[in-house]
Amino acid sequence: MSPLLTLYRFEVRSALRERSIVINSILLPILLYPGLMWLMFTGISFVRGQTDDMASRIVVSGPLEAHAPLDRALRQDRRFQIVDPAGEDAAALRAGALDARLELSVHPVAALPGNLQALVVYDGSHERSSAARQRLVEVLEQYRDLQIRTETLARGVAARDWAGFLVEGRNVASERDMGGFLLGLMLPLMFVVMVAVGCFYPAIDTTAGERERGTWETLMTTSASRTSIVVAKYLYVATFGCVAGLLNVAAMALTMRTIVGQLAGGAVALDFSVRPEALPVLAAGAVLLSAFIAAGMMVFASFARTFREGQSMITPFYLLVLLPTVFLSSRGTAFSPALAAIPVVNVALVIRDALSGVFQWPLIGITVAVTLAAIAGLLRLAAAIVAAEAVVAGSYSGTLATFVRGLFGRAAPAPKETAR
Amino acid sequence: MIPVDVAGLTKIYVDQSRGEVRAVDDISFACQPGEIFGLLGANGAGKTTTLRMLSTILAPSAGRAAVMGHDVATAPEHVRRSLGFYSASTALYPRLTGRETLEFFARINGFPEAAVAARVEALITRFGIGEYAGARVDTLSQGMKQKVSIARTVAHDPPVLIFDEPSVGLDVLNALEMQKVIGELRDDGKTIIFSTHIMSEAERLCDRIAIIHRGRIHACGTLAELRAATGRHYLEDIFVHYVEQAGAAPTP
Repeated sequence: MSPLLTLYRFEVRSALRERSIVINSILLPILLYPGLMWLMFTGISFVRGQTDDMASRIVVSGPLEAHAPLDRALRQDRRFQIVDPAGEDAAALRAGALDARLELSVHPVAALPGNLQALVVYDGSHERSSAARQRLVEVLEQYRDLQIRTETLARGVAARDWAGFLVEGRNVASERDMGGFLLGLMLPLMFVVMVAVGCFYPAIDTTAGERERGTWETLMTTSASRTSIVVAKYLYVATFGCVAGLLNVAAMALTMRTIVGQLAGGAVALDFSVRPEALPVLAAGAVLLSAFIAAGMMVFASFARTFREGQSMITPFYLLVLLPTVFLSSRGTAFSPALAAIPVVNVALVIRDALSGVFQWPLIGITVAVTLAAIAGLLRLAAAIVAAEAVVAGSYSGTLATFVRGLFGRAAPAPKETAR
Repeated sequence: MIPVDVAGLTKIYVDQSRGEVRAVDDISFACQPGEIFGLLGANGAGKTTTLRMLSTILAPSAGRAAVMGHDVATAPEHVRRSLGFYSASTALYPRLTGRETLEFFARINGFPEAAVAARVEALITRFGIGEYAGARVDTLSQGMKQKVSIARTVAHDPPVLIFDEPSVGLDVLNALEMQKVIGELRDDGKTIIFSTHIMSEAERLCDRIAIIHRGRIHACGTLAELRAATGRHYLEDIFVHYVEQAGAAPTP
């Protein structure tokens, strides 16, 4: 078995026994977002159910008896409970003792004798009061439609002609297009977050963690080459990032299909299955993204001597990775050559487009080239760090910035000597 | 072949406050098969720096060193394959079991794959790890960790072993057990370099002793030779004699 494979297997096996890594890189991607979404929708459904089951307590003032259909509608509708006015209505509304007041009056500029003006008084800060207003508006609109139909028919005009013109819409997107669009809005952002989370703990564990546990020197005295050690550690971190990202995509797609589909209740036709032609692009994107983030995190964590130091050193890079993804939440962001030159954002946009069935091959080409170049640069830096004697011996007390300046001969002490 | 051959080995650090520091200054020695060669010196004398150069963690500033004929500067991986390195700062991986630890270190140091399982079982038996071989290292007692640690040092059956202050942090019984094991390894024909600042350990274990102070070796020989050269009986007195002769008081 090659030293590289031996080291890689050892790193993975060891990581799978570390609770924080298993939780953050495997369980969190699977459970967090589906769990959050389930909790959120369960909460919304619960509140909605509570409100739906409650009768709205309303007070009606004005000439209701002159509008028999409206009076009948309000009294027969079990969603309303018409109560007698008791004291100051506004105070009762604010106190939650009353849900809404309907004030009916004759329209000041009424063209027809039956014209009516309706005012719904409610407290927008109370969910129950807002629901009462919505219910009242619904009943009033139905009564208005009835009145318009009655009056127009009495004058020999059909209601459709009275409307003047009709506005209709027709969505040419298929169910899959709509599902892909929604997935494309959410998945790339969550994918970047999850890959970063997936890489975070392994990157610290395999660098600062080794030093903190005192195993760094043990490893350095084995016959494995420094290159093998760096590459095995890098592959281990990238693997966990990639797995975290892919598990999250799978979990999210499944969640969207089951939970969101059920919530929509058939009102919106959505198909959240990922297009087969997008799968290779998604897989390549996952590999590129995790390879880049793993390389960056390992470089940033290389100088840490304790787990806590590692967290502090990696966090700026972590935030740096997440920052550009703000662009992704904007629906109108078009994938352009300029965006294709920005690592992380470019891969996320490729994934977003692929989920919607859009494949801009020149931009995908730029994305691959830029990301590979960035990875190569970071790995060269990582190799230089591990070759630095002071880092290997654990005596280097500087930061990444000091080290980089040292490489270019602008700072002292530079890690001039190397250990092989 | 001389298992360990060191000539003019030097290590210079550039320290911001102290300037150029010669941690190891032109030292030379050679170790023979089946010999325990002791590096005796106070803290900061240059013992660990010397051993780190031999194990290729540090690169020499000048001079040369070879382990089993492999130069530390040009063939570091061959050097590391030829030696086992044990020190208080070479800890074990806490999440692996004792058996997994031995398998890993045998494989990573190039022990033939087909023979790894048999080698690991032999080590488990020899060091009395059997009952605990399947337990994670972080659950083991200090004494059992020490056994696993020595076993992982010799897992790939290297001809040369380096023990850098191995009894640091051990209680008396574990320290004696450590000395016993090192003696047995010598009897197996291993070449052992043993660094310590504890005189009694050096007296009991070492076939030859090099007294190192401020990066330089001031004397090297068997205990009898050192006694004859100084006219002193106890190693402690011999050590003080050479340190004073070097024109410096011993480091407390």
